[in-house]
Amino acid sequence: MASPAQQLPPGWAAQWDPNNQRYLFIETASGHSQWEVPGAPQGGQPVPDQPPASPAPGGPHNPRRRQYAAGQTQAYYGGETAVDPTYGTSTLVPPPTTGAPAPGPVAGGPQFFTPGLDNQQYGGAPVPAPGTGISGGGGAPGVPSYYGPGADQQQQVHQHDYINGPAYGQPQPPQPSFTPGGGSVDALTGQFGALGLAGQKAFQLYTTNLLTSPPEPRELLRPPPEIRLPPNSCVSPAATANADPSYQRSTLNAIPTTSSLLSKSKVPLALVITPYRSVKEGEEQVPLVTDTVIARCRRCRAYINPYVQFIDGGNRWRCCICNMSNEVPQLFDWDQARNQPGDRWARAELNHSVVEFVAPSEYMVRPPQPAAYVFLIDVSHTAVQSGMVATATRTLLENLERIPDEEDRTKVSIICYDTSLYFFSIAPGATDSTMLVVSDIEDVFLPKPSDLLVNLAEARSSLEGLLGRVHDMFQENSIIGNALGPALQAAFKLLSPIGGKIVALSSSLPTLGAGALKNREDPKILGTAKESGLLQAASPFYKTFAIDCSRAQISVDMFLFSAAYQDVASLACLPHYTSGQTYYYPAFNAARSEDAQKFAREFGEVLAMPIMLEAVMRVRASRGLRMSSFHGNFFVRSTDLLAMPAVPQDQSYAIEVQIEETITSPFVVFQTAVLHTTCYSERRIRVITLALPTTTNLSEVFASADQIALATLFANKAVERSLTHKLEDARDFTFQKLVELLVAYKNSMTSGGAGASAQLAISENMKMLPVLVLGLLKNVGIRQSAQIPPDIRAYSQALLTSLPSQLLIPYIYPTFYALHSMPAEAGTVGEHGVIMPPPLPSTSERLERHGLFLIEDGQTLFLWVGRDAVPQLVLDVFNLPSYEVLRGGKTTLPVLDNPFSQRVYAVIEKVREMRRGVYYPHLYVVKEDGEPPLRLWALSALIQDRADVLPSYQQFLQSLKEKVNGVGGY
Amino acid sequence: MGPLAWLYLFSILVSAGFLFCTVYFIIMFSDLESDYVNPIDLCSRLNPLVVPEHGAHAVMTTLFVLSGQWVAILLNAPLVAFNVNKILKKGHVYDPTEIFRTVERHKMEVYIKLAFYLVMFFWYLYSFIAVLVAEGG
Repeated sequence: MASPAQQLPPGWAAQWDPNNQRYLFIETASGHSQWEVPGAPQGGQPVPDQPPASPAPGGPHNPRRRQYAAGQTQAYYGGETAVDPTYGTSTLVPPPTTGAPAPGPVAGGPQFFTPGLDNQQYGGAPVPAPGTGISGGGGAPGVPSYYGPGADQQQQVHQHDYINGPAYGQPQPPQPSFTPGGGSVDALTGQFGALGLAGQKAFQLYTTNLLTSPPEPRELLRPPPEIRLPPNSCVSPAATANADPSYQRSTLNAIPTTSSLLSKSKVPLALVITPYRSVKEGEEQVPLVTDTVIARCRRCRAYINPYVQFIDGGNRWRCCICNMSNEVPQLFDWDQARNQPGDRWARAELNHSVVEFVAPSEYMVRPPQPAAYVFLIDVSHTAVQSGMVATATRTLLENLERIPDEEDRTKVSIICYDTSLYFFSIAPGATDSTMLVVSDIEDVFLPKPSDLLVNLAEARSSLEGLLGRVHDMFQENSIIGNALGPALQAAFKLLSPIGGKIVALSSSLPTLGAGALKNREDPKILGTAKESGLLQAASPFYKTFAIDCSRAQISVDMFLFSAAYQDVASLACLPHYTSGQTYYYPAFNAARSEDAQKFAREFGEVLAMPIMLEAVMRVRASRGLRMSSFHGNFFVRSTDLLAMPAVPQDQSYAIEVQIEETITSPFVVFQTAVLHTTCYSERRIRVITLALPTTTNLSEVFASADQIALATLFANKAVERSLTHKLEDARDFTFQKLVELLVAYKNSMTSGGAGASAQLAISENMKMLPVLVLGLLKNVGIRQSAQIPPDIRAYSQALLTSLPSQLLIPYIYPTFYALHSMPAEAGTVGEHGVIMPPPLPSTSERLERHGLFLIEDGQTLFLWVGRDAVPQLVLDVFNLPSYEVLRGGKTTLPVLDNPFSQRVYAVIEKVREMRRGVYYPHLYVVKEDGEPPLRLWALSALIQDRADVLPSYQQFLQSLKEKVNGVGGY
Repeated sequence: MGPLAWLYLFSILVSAGFLFCTVYFIIMFSDLESDYVNPIDLCSRLNPLVVPEHGAHAVMTTLFVLSGQWVAILLNAPLVAFNVNKILKKGHVYDPTEIFRTVERHKMEVYIKLAFYLVMFFWYLYSFIAVLVAEGG
């Protein structure tokens, strides 16, 4: 697809949206954006090619700040100039001499100074920094990154783009390093330069009437409201200086200065953090600081970041969190690799908001532990019959070499269990293993002091042999019963000296020993107030054991397979408090190849996942802000310290923030630090810094709200409330929060004020919030229904509290595509990977009798076939003669030798892989007149429809409106 | 000194014990909030005290019932009912995983108890003296 950037009228910018496979057009002056190609310049827009007063954001001062030779910088600029004259004219300003008046607000600006180099070039005079202007931080999309750490690293960033990395459905901030590359990158950079200008003015609030503007699924892919930091707040003009929303995002991108302003807006303030998100190929890796020079504030222990201020000629730095003045460590300006003075401004921690430090020994309680895995495999009759044992051992066997083990230190142990425990001992050097049976499950002991937990690399061949045999060994096992509790205790005994990960696979309700559970599923109490009791742990064992595990740095992953009641709610407690993850395959049957494939795929990904071990996480924030409550999979060890024995990738945490006192600074900083041991036995600290401006203006608070983060927070709060109170309370609470927000908006932001209004007003940036809340209220985890088995509910709640926004949003608001009428290019490989068809609003009004539709929520895919589907379509996609022959249910789609089949297949595969996380969704074929349960399930994903007692989107808006007008009438 | 005087003397001593106990609870909760103690230690230290405290209070109230001290029974009955309800609902155990979410509520509860025990302490003292005076007269 050719870049439309060049053909745009002035004042517009085009931004490639990878998920929609099309450009988003942004009117730079107002921030307004649209999908349609803008026509002629609109009235009142600046017409000249070069916007007036273009101070070349970040331009002239960079060379000086960075103190590169003029020629060197010119060379970089030259490259830009050739393509983009607009940008070139402004950046070609020669590096001013020291005495020259610097453009921009100089007064009060920080002084930038590199001791080593400065003397040579500027005679020792500290160089006053010209206004970094909007170039500071993430609010500075205008600054291309052509300087920076060793130039090459940044260049690399600059070049990589979505051509390499497949699109993933997360909105990206308008950062130049993420803009599409190829021929359009320079033009776009220029456009963004113009866009950056808009950053200096206040947030513009656009009010939308919800009643007249139906939800547009593409809105969800928009980046969050821009972060507009005040000038001079950031020492680095790099676009990476502020955190990418996929790592850390706030519900408000402008923090109110007082708690009364915050409570007036009724927008909850919280952070949504995914500190360890997976990095796909082609994306920027997290930069690593290897020289163990870790500059931290003496008082608040914050790490140095791009938002500190250098004072006293660069010898001291002022902490941006507590304002303490600290000394710059002596080796900070020393390049240890080359043993010569280094460039301070090239240091990764001053240019990147997400950075990892190699931690010296002060950060260790003990030498870094090796990664250790204990696999608990249920080999009871049910497990063997379902094929779980065979699939699990085969997957384990196939993925042995993918288990992270770079230094050959990883340890592995396999324990099988039914009503007894079967240990496998592998003597060093032996090629065979011995099975040791412990049938005393009341008082679990290890049958051997050593050789049970073996080195993966050394015992590889015997492990392979063992895994190949396990299924045969237990094939005839007719024992029914499940001693999961004792098995966990045994694994704990094995791991407690070093910590690690327990991966428990269980096919039935634990019935023996510690942690035995009873079947408490009672259809009569479903849908009643007592239902939330079923979502809590039935036995205290799962909480106390989780705490023991957390102390011993052991994390538990649960893979659950039962067809009958398994008490997922109790079992999910263990992963919940030990920062593991629960995976649930209800009624798993390996005879269905789809089941086996899904489990094998996800289990394989879990095995191959590089995990963080022995981690603790703490979030620090500027004075006046306090982290008040924490949601997610971890154990809160002290008021603000989260203990995570093993952090899996792509797990999200939500943290509510309180404003305790009036904030006086122009911007605030949230810093998340995760001290951890990598699975390659290196102690590291991952630091994520997010700077946000403050505001005293209520309309800016509304205009900066991030609906995705808000929906994520609501999901966490709703689940918490359903456990402490009732499910109904959780729904009412969420609904009430939305009503309060709308009332606050109506009363303060619309002309109608407090009176009744025919409108339902909300700001443009939050207009998808009502539909997301509706989606949440209709989600299986929260929904009002007497038919949802507690296991399914509990699993869904586990997902709601741990999925990162990118996966959570489709999970509560499924995406809906029409495949039969998709544009010709959809499903083909385009410039940015497979082109997706445009998503439709999720309502059955769009279903057509002759059509083929795809509904997906990231966990399940439904391929809906209309009853009048033409035989040719059925033949093309399913290789079947007619609609009548087609069978509904789980399917693997054949790839046929026709373009339509290949496009459909490509779209489905793209859906399966475009998001982060290990999930490999099942594909169900749903016939319009097929089995009612499956049909209803698929239709329940279309959340804008009315279903049973649940309102349609229109009804939901009406009830919102009544509430809003009712409350406002006081 | 008759048995009634002994009963009130016993109540005074037990109340004093309760007072120390609640103050200890308050100190521990404050320590938790200022990070001097971690939730696991807190819970393992406090949980063994909960049932004995409730038990002692129940025993004391039973003694009042046996000796027919109606005013004392009326004063203590609400707390007994509260404690019994809590134990039946299994809410008497401090849960380290939830403690940060519930610490405010626990603190409030402990403060109210402290006030109650303090008032009761003086009331027992008054009753004790009243009984002694009645015996002497």
